[in-house]
Amino acid sequence: MSEHSVNIIMIEDDEGHARLIEKNIRRAGIANAIRHFVDGTSALDYLFHAPDGPANNGPALILLDLNLPDMSGIDILAKIKADPRLKRTPVVVLTTTDDKQEIQRCYDLGANVYITKPVNYENFARAIQQLGLFLSVIQVPEVGDDA
Amino acid sequence: MTISDRYFQRLVLAAMASGFVLLLIAAGIVVLATSERQRSTALVVHTYTVERALDTFSILSEQLETARRGYLLHHRQASLDTFRRTVAAIPIQLDQLQFLTRDNPVQQSRIVGLRAEAERHLESARQTFQRLADPNPAMQAMADFAVDTSFVSMITLRHLTDVMNDEEERLLARRLAAQHEASFQLNLVLGLVGVLILLIMSGASWIVLRYTADLSKAQDALRAVNTGLEGAVSARTAELSRANDEIQRFAYIVSHDLRSPLVNVMGFTAELEAAIGPLTELTNRVDAGAPELMDSSARDALADLPEAIGFIRASTNKMDRLINAILRLSREGRRTLAPAPVDIAALAASIRDSLQFRLNELGAEIAIDTPTPAIVTDRLALEQILSNLIENSTKYLQTGRPGRIVVSARQEGQRVIIDVVDNGRGVAPGDQERIFELFRRSGVQDQPGEGLGLAHVRALSYRLGGVITCISALGAGATFRLSLPKVLKVEPREGMAA
Repeated sequence: MSEHSVNIIMIEDDEGHARLIEKNIRRAGIANAIRHFVDGTSALDYLFHAPDGPANNGPALILLDLNLPDMSGIDILAKIKADPRLKRTPVVVLTTTDDKQEIQRCYDLGANVYITKPVNYENFARAIQQLGLFLSVIQVPEVGDDA
Repeated sequence: MTISDRYFQRLVLAAMASGFVLLLIAAGIVVLATSERQRSTALVVHTYTVERALDTFSILSEQLETARRGYLLHHRQASLDTFRRTVAAIPIQLDQLQFLTRDNPVQQSRIVGLRAEAERHLESARQTFQRLADPNPAMQAMADFAVDTSFVSMITLRHLTDVMNDEEERLLARRLAAQHEASFQLNLVLGLVGVLILLIMSGASWIVLRYTADLSKAQDALRAVNTGLEGAVSARTAELSRANDEIQRFAYIVSHDLRSPLVNVMGFTAELEAAIGPLTELTNRVDAGAPELMDSSARDALADLPEAIGFIRASTNKMDRLINAILRLSREGRRTLAPAPVDIAALAASIRDSLQFRLNELGAEIAIDTPTPAIVTDRLALEQILSNLIENSTKYLQTGRPGRIVVSARQEGQRVIIDVVDNGRGVAPGDQERIFELFRRSGVQDQPGEGLGLAHVRALSYRLGGVITCISALGAGATFRLSLPKVLKVEPREGMAA
């Protein structure tokens, strides 16, 4: 990750999952700020309207769970990818769903990475740490580069 | 059939029977009346015969008298001929009359008188002819004398025949009346019989029409019931299929939602486990450096931790396996079906070939009853069903009995019935429904498995619009019967949200 200013926005309704993801990302040596939202509404509000949110300020990377209490993660993905300010923001779908059709739909909507959470913790931890390594090397575009 | 219907049927039968009895009686009466009429006709004819005989007799007597007189006037050969003919004919005619009137004593007594008078007349005539033929003139002259008696005889004869004729006329009148009566009766009886026949015919026709109507109504009803039955079957399978979809969806959602907490349980258990190392190191350091700070309960707690974590891990692993099993099941249920013609025999043969190695090991064999009916269904689903059933059959063999598995299929109406019959250890009657449930198994647990196969088979059967049943007795083999629609119709399914 080129700049420390890149925020990681985690939309995940399960507090435990969020904690485990954060732990393992940190273990991979990623020190970027992580903003955690447990429901879709507040996450969307932050993404689109917050003064320090990615739409108005600064590059971001979104970790998205599909099973949210108030809306489907797919809807959030669609909104992000339909917005000219956010469409280039990388979205990593990180969820328990491993349905082939769902995965295809997410990629069709423009998801950048789709990861199924392994139930086995060792695999889970490894996957998240690898994601961390991945995050440390990818380039995230600046908002407004080409808007 | 209702009671009133049965009562009505009996009534109809009784009416028909009595109708036929009446007809028989009528036929008898007709025969009697006809013979009565014939008898009276015969009597009338008889009377006419007697009258004619009397007339003939009168004519003969008159002819005799005429011939006699003619001969008296001039001796012509023609008169002589007539005399000879009449003399010969009159006694015969009298015999005839006597014979004809033998049933009538009055006429008989009159014939005696008639015969006596006729004899006298004949005698007189004979004398006349004899005397006229005599060359002696005296004798010829005496011929005239005979005329007088002959004249008297003629009057008497005429009177007698008139009396007899009157008697016959009287009889004739009576007999004609009798004949008329008999004819009238016959006509009456015939008329009645005609009416009776008409009644019975119309009754019979009515019954035939009624029964035909009933029959066609019953046939219609039967057809309706049949169609209804088919409708009921398809409605039932549609219902099952819907229920199955519902369960698949439920299973999918539940398995996903169960996974999330499981990730936490497993994850934080791992974190705990990871914490054991530093903690143990700490207690060891405390033990070494400041043993007074250490108490036994803390040490015990630390010693118990690995065991507790071990149990949590074992349980979560098992739960994970079960959830994955449900997920596999539901995923299979969500696969889009592709109906295509499937050769059941070829499919079974390919399954047999794939199991050949194991079959050789077990000394078991699989027979496939050919030919099998054509079917249009999802090939993959049917293959999974059959291979599950056949594999089960090879797994649960009866010890000491070489395994024999028979796969057969037949068509019943719009459905195809596939039987997988084995001679294995069988399924206890109480378990025959249970074995299709998820995670449930039956009998001796000496084979690996999670109790998924038959649940999977049933779910697939429902999806194919079919039904699977188990018919078995413990120790006597089992028959797994799969009933599938001959042609699978796939309704467009809505995509399932995650």
